[in-house]
Amino acid sequence: MVNPTGIGASLLRREDKRFLTGRGNYVADLKRPGLTFGVFVRSPHAHAWLRGIDASAALAIPGVIAALTGADLVADDVGGMPVGWGIHGKDGLPMKEPPHPAMAHDKVRHVGDAVAFVVAETIELARLAAEALVVEYEILPAVVGVLEAVRPDAPQLFDDVPGNLCCDWEMGDKAATDAAFQGAVHIARISLVNNRLIGNPMEPRAAVAEYERSTDRTTLWTTSQFPHVVRLLMGNFVLKIPQHKLRVVAPDVGGGFGVKQFHYAEEAVLTWAARRLGRPIKWVADRSEGFVSDAQGRDHVSEAELALDETGKFLGLRVSTLANMGGYLSTFAPNIPTNLYAPLLGGVYTTPAIYCEVKVVFTNTVPVDAYRGAGRPEATFLLERLVDVAASDLGMDRIEIRRRNMIPKEAFPYQTPVVVMYDSGDPMGCMDRALEVADWAGFPARKAESVKRGQLRGIGISTYVEACGLAPSRLAIQMGARGGLYESATVRVHPTGHVTVLIGTHSHGQGHETTFAQIVSEKLGVPAENVDVVFGDTDRVQFGMGTYGSRSLVVGGSALSMAANKVILKGRKIAAHQLEAALEDIVFENGRFSVTGTDRGRAFEEICLSAYVPADYPLETLEPGLEEQAFYDP
Amino acid sequence: MKLALTVNGGAVQVDIPPSTLLSDLLRETLCLTGTHIGCDTSQCGACVVHVNGRSVKSCTVLAVALEGADVLSIEGLAATQPAAELHPMQTAFHENHGLQCGFCTPGMIMSAVELATLNPALTEDQVRAGLEGNLCRCTGYQNIVASVLAGAAAMHTATQEV
Repeated sequence: MVNPTGIGASLLRREDKRFLTGRGNYVADLKRPGLTFGVFVRSPHAHAWLRGIDASAALAIPGVIAALTGADLVADDVGGMPVGWGIHGKDGLPMKEPPHPAMAHDKVRHVGDAVAFVVAETIELARLAAEALVVEYEILPAVVGVLEAVRPDAPQLFDDVPGNLCCDWEMGDKAATDAAFQGAVHIARISLVNNRLIGNPMEPRAAVAEYERSTDRTTLWTTSQFPHVVRLLMGNFVLKIPQHKLRVVAPDVGGGFGVKQFHYAEEAVLTWAARRLGRPIKWVADRSEGFVSDAQGRDHVSEAELALDETGKFLGLRVSTLANMGGYLSTFAPNIPTNLYAPLLGGVYTTPAIYCEVKVVFTNTVPVDAYRGAGRPEATFLLERLVDVAASDLGMDRIEIRRRNMIPKEAFPYQTPVVVMYDSGDPMGCMDRALEVADWAGFPARKAESVKRGQLRGIGISTYVEACGLAPSRLAIQMGARGGLYESATVRVHPTGHVTVLIGTHSHGQGHETTFAQIVSEKLGVPAENVDVVFGDTDRVQFGMGTYGSRSLVVGGSALSMAANKVILKGRKIAAHQLEAALEDIVFENGRFSVTGTDRGRAFEEICLSAYVPADYPLETLEPGLEEQAFYDP
Repeated sequence: MKLALTVNGGAVQVDIPPSTLLSDLLRETLCLTGTHIGCDTSQCGACVVHVNGRSVKSCTVLAVALEGADVLSIEGLAATQPAAELHPMQTAFHENHGLQCGFCTPGMIMSAVELATLNPALTEDQVRAGLEGNLCRCTGYQNIVASVLAGAAAMHTATQEV
């Protein structure tokens, strides 16, 4: 029987209606009794000593409640912003991890670095107060490019980070790669700038923080892709609030693209200030503020060489990259141009020797972190440009050079020289199909037709290997992750057979409320409309790592599937008890638990009701209730 | 300043500071938060509403200039249709997967309704040009254009039936 709302069914999105009618619930829409409004005062200088802040004129404005500074954070013993990955350099030593205060107190290191947070009864008064704040800077020479930052005479951002070098990192076998280049007939070379970009989700970042004195609980509503991780990082490392006293909610979020998957200083400052002042506070970034405070993407400068033999076979690949971290390390920053970059340099090719070194560099710019693909597109762009250059150098066809170097289908599983093993694949089959559907062969005719109309036409090709869901926790922690990369899901079956899913991923456009309901529908045989999917609230959902790196369906969906399997097992136990049959004789098919080979059985809904109104359960071996949780590690 | 106008078919009388923007009036004073603010520069279009039937970027209109005006925001759109749960343009966005995160959607739909009203025979090129002032970051626009064309056709059919 085909399930009309199961996996593979083409459903209209269940989350659409509230968005279509203007009834979404975004952080900026939130109103709280006694709400105050906060504005960050940010440095207009890329690099400067902070010599003093005079808040007297700002505080004299009626309705202005507070002007808090980095010095107040220090006085309250608020910790710096934590980093979720720690990498090691060629010398085996850990990366330099200089302090990242939530607001600067001695020095500003990029334009947009926050120096104060003013709070007032209205947003207009808060803006007025921010303008009235007098900040004295002693401007220092700044360095904004990676090439300049590593020069011996470059301005230094941190006293204990010589040469602005966070880490001199490497992956691959240098000696083997050098040897491969010794035997090369041709070496293709490329110098590449992968420019910095700003993610810009349509919804600017925002937060509301509130402290409830009666329960000593604090709530932060924030535009986040991973509220549980914000609770853990902020509660445990920055503000030292016990996890059970801290609730983090990420309601409807207007796009993420990576920009909202970090624990931001603003979240900690708002939460700290709301507790300190005893009033709820709202902060909404405007677009201009996002440009200087959202973590940005890419910003690599690379040199790469590809060694080839006379037939165009790749013998070795050597990559040297300078990666810009900006003025501080953002949550995942050091991992992006290293572990999420070099392992992708194998691409779909049989290159036997690869060596990649990455200098991870501080500059006086807005911090850089994961953005859409994060490291992997940078690697792919470099590799595929280099392959095109090699083809051009040798006068070879772009397709032919790729074909000669692709991993043949029969060679899988394939171990690359850069850590990762591909379990399966058929790159040549994929490329042939892509050429066919794009009508690659028909391009010359299309181009001739364009020329006739006085227009230009070009065509390009790129292969791409993606690492979705990142890695098993064991491997991630070996590579420097300071936490696991599993996901969790709870399937709560109600007495009526309706289902609530509680899952640790976060939907901000991906359509999880539809997709995850389909998984439950497929597994339990209930219609998708009987399934609610809950996410984004640490008070409701057990725990979760959130949504990033294309992980939600592969990791979260797998956890959900496992939890549903547990529900089925529990249902079989209940059915076995009721039907006086052995567990192994109970099958669950088409929404019915039955004794195999007989017509004796119970509908799913009957078992659900029985689970919550049990009269005769052998409680030592069969507990009431029908709710199961599973954790899946990729 | 005192201001009287119509919002989503209902009479509204408010006393607001003269600097209040229409978007603030809707979002803060009237708690109609379906109108979104995505930029500081009138570029993103998430705040588009109708004033006297024409689309405006509500973040760039002073509310006090609207004495006596008829304002329609996303929350009131469906109610303009007799006995329908959704406006045909809203239905078209739903059926054509014309939204993902939903943040740009209210402005996108309000702009689309005006386009379709002014031009009953919209072409794809006209839709693309007409939505120049509405940015979406999720969809890549393909499904939005398909939605607007489908919504415009449905609006036209509905009008002819009446």
